[in-house]
Amino acid sequence: MAKCMKILVLCLAIGLAVSPGVQAAEKAIKIGINAPITGDIPKVGEGTKFAAQMWLEDIKAAGGLDVGGKKYPVELVIEDNEAKAESAVKAMTKMITEDEVIAIVGPQASKQAIPGGEVANNYKTPMISPWSTNPDTTKNRPFVFRGCFLDPFQGPVLANFIKEEFKFTKAAVLYDVASDYPKGLAEYFRQAWEKLNGPGSVTAFESFTTKDADFSSQLTKIIQSGAEVLFTPQYYNEVALIVQQAHELGWKNPIVGSDSWGSAETVKLCGKDCYGLFFSTHYAAAGATGATKEFIDRYNKKYGYVPDDVAALTWDSIRIVQRAIQNCGKLTGDIKADRQCVRDAMAKIKEFEGITGKMTFTEEGDPIKCAVIVKISDKGEYEFYKSVCP
Amino acid sequence: MKNTDLPEAGKQDTFRTSLARIPLLGWLIGALVAVLLEHLTGLRLAEALLLPKVPVLFGLVTMLKTPLLIPSSVFYVLLIYILPTFIVARLTRPLTNRLSAGLFNLSPAVSAVIHLGVFYAALHLWSEISDYRVLTVKLTLIAIMLTLSLNLINGYMGEFSCSHPGFMALGAYTASVFTLSLFTDSRMFGTAVFQAGYGPFLFPAALILGGFTAAAGALIIAIPSFRTRGDYLAIISLAFMFIVKSMIENMEVIGGPRGLGGQPDYANLPAVFVWTVLCVWMINNFVQSVLGKALNAVRDDETAADAMTVNTRQTKMTAFMFGAFWAGIAGGLFAHVLRYVNPATFGIQNLAEVLAMVYFGGLNSVYGSIVGAVSMNLLGEALRPLEIYKWIIIPLLLILVMIFRPAGLIAFKEFNVRNLIRPRG
Repeated sequence: MAKCMKILVLCLAIGLAVSPGVQAAEKAIKIGINAPITGDIPKVGEGTKFAAQMWLEDIKAAGGLDVGGKKYPVELVIEDNEAKAESAVKAMTKMITEDEVIAIVGPQASKQAIPGGEVANNYKTPMISPWSTNPDTTKNRPFVFRGCFLDPFQGPVLANFIKEEFKFTKAAVLYDVASDYPKGLAEYFRQAWEKLNGPGSVTAFESFTTKDADFSSQLTKIIQSGAEVLFTPQYYNEVALIVQQAHELGWKNPIVGSDSWGSAETVKLCGKDCYGLFFSTHYAAAGATGATKEFIDRYNKKYGYVPDDVAALTWDSIRIVQRAIQNCGKLTGDIKADRQCVRDAMAKIKEFEGITGKMTFTEEGDPIKCAVIVKISDKGEYEFYKSVCP
Repeated sequence: MKNTDLPEAGKQDTFRTSLARIPLLGWLIGALVAVLLEHLTGLRLAEALLLPKVPVLFGLVTMLKTPLLIPSSVFYVLLIYILPTFIVARLTRPLTNRLSAGLFNLSPAVSAVIHLGVFYAALHLWSEISDYRVLTVKLTLIAIMLTLSLNLINGYMGEFSCSHPGFMALGAYTASVFTLSLFTDSRMFGTAVFQAGYGPFLFPAALILGGFTAAAGALIIAIPSFRTRGDYLAIISLAFMFIVKSMIENMEVIGGPRGLGGQPDYANLPAVFVWTVLCVWMINNFVQSVLGKALNAVRDDETAADAMTVNTRQTKMTAFMFGAFWAGIAGGLFAHVLRYVNPATFGIQNLAEVLAMVYFGGLNSVYGSIVGAVSMNLLGEALRPLEIYKWIIIPLLLILVMIFRPAGLIAFKEFNVRNLIRPRG
């Protein structure tokens, strides 16, 4: 026993002697990323992670982040929230109390962003969710911001677009009743559409539940209702099924979608059936110019596919954090004071030139920004069609 | 005591027997001293060892993130936790043995309460260092309650129930609606009925109400499904879970799929700890009672149990509702720890996690449930830096456990409190 102890102590002593001095001379600025790397929506987590890592490369190439004339090294703390609320809360608490991050980008989906925002606000740490569209995420939380427009804005945008573009008066809606994003958007769209075309102009308001794969009964009802256009604010895997099944059942009219269509997977799964359809989103990859194009090309070259809206919004969000830190002017080293300073600087950001459009934050921490209507071209690319501003 | 097979035979006792003779009180006091030591010197020692901060979960996260820091982390854990606990426990052995003998003779109940007090003090001091520890401890304690209540049904009763997330959701939503509508100004339920100051005192009522709602839900499944046996209960209870989930999704009053947030912050560490202790105590008493033994008899052979005058139907119903009750309480606590609930949380994934904890820890065993819940939760947190590989390692562990110990790590073992707290000297 005594021998064992001696050997153990010896090993530890040697290990201690050879373990290098890891303490950096300058304390790094840490930025937290809370992303769903495993779980239901890994593609979202991947886009978030890649965009953040690309940003870090830029900062590293520049020799650090320049704040008030001083260069600081930057570290990213990437935590997986497993697409679960409790895990997002744990990751949030860990990053804030253990890693002492100055600001957090994410979580992406509202399911995690709402409880995550609560934690960030309690600990007075600025957080920006690039993708969460639920109003509750930022409501009454001065430290929580978001990088995208909200559903109450997107619904009317689409209703107006369909009205102007096709001059239709009768619309049908098909949505997932068990998922908060489609459900909210479907309702905002119905309100806006009935305001434009009078009550009863939404001829069918059909729902299904997450993971359903057969929509024929709902689609038959929709076709029989005499609707001229179908609106379906679904995610990429369901979009492909809905569009293909609608066409099989003889639906010839346009199908319109929302920003959840924006994933690169939509066209991959849907194929020719989706060509020529419209949806509203945050940015359009095909035909992009300037900084947006630069971002898309870099991302495509590095990771082998065109980035979807999550990656673009994350890129913008992390650059808003960067801008806020720089606007802060001077870092004191006291993490609490610095967080407050970053939060105040972030709230004051005006006309931020992002790759997904110009942004200015409202009192609630929601950006005022334009939506883009995208047309899926005959080559399956997402083409810019028009821009709708509030 | 035999001590002839070791070189240090001359000494009074060997290493192992010397450990075996330390009573639980000694270990607890050792742990308390260790966490006190961490409070006083942890930060300085961590700095001296070049660690960025005090290692939060016994250094596991630090080790995986920066392998270069493995020696420092091991050294830290050894210096702060293992050595002090061991040394104090060993040095105070005569004292603690006498003390626990005195307490035990006085009254085992008092002794148990004192043990719990010391344990809580150590836990509280340990978690006070970081809020991340507090959150991890709270969620782990809730997981213990859930695992234990499911073990009651799947282990002790021998049925396969899949409705636990459903019971949890019922408890979580009932308790949330209770606290939100009575003590807070919320968007959905209007202004507060009572002053917010009463909230913490009525919080137990909210939880118990949640528990009763869950038990009522259990009654609804129990009536039709206990006419059948085996797989049928699994199917019916799985259906029940989906019914609860879609019911909540379609109820706009309580937020529908958007969820319900802003619960008051009542579930602090002492509250969660007290409820967990109550849960362990009550379930442990339940399974050791006549009813609990009847439950085992029903599991092993229902016809034989019936012939031996066991009222099988009533026994099963009681156990099922009792399990559901505690799942409801755990759900209520869960909602108030996260301060947000969402129907999607209570789905298949949640079910899989609870089942994994039950089968990993061990069927028909209170020890097993505690071990399963704690190890799964700590592993889940500690392996965080591995990202996606975490979900290869944890299932692999489960498979290994299932191969080598098919009933779980510590299955079919009684949790005997008297035996645990007795003196060993």
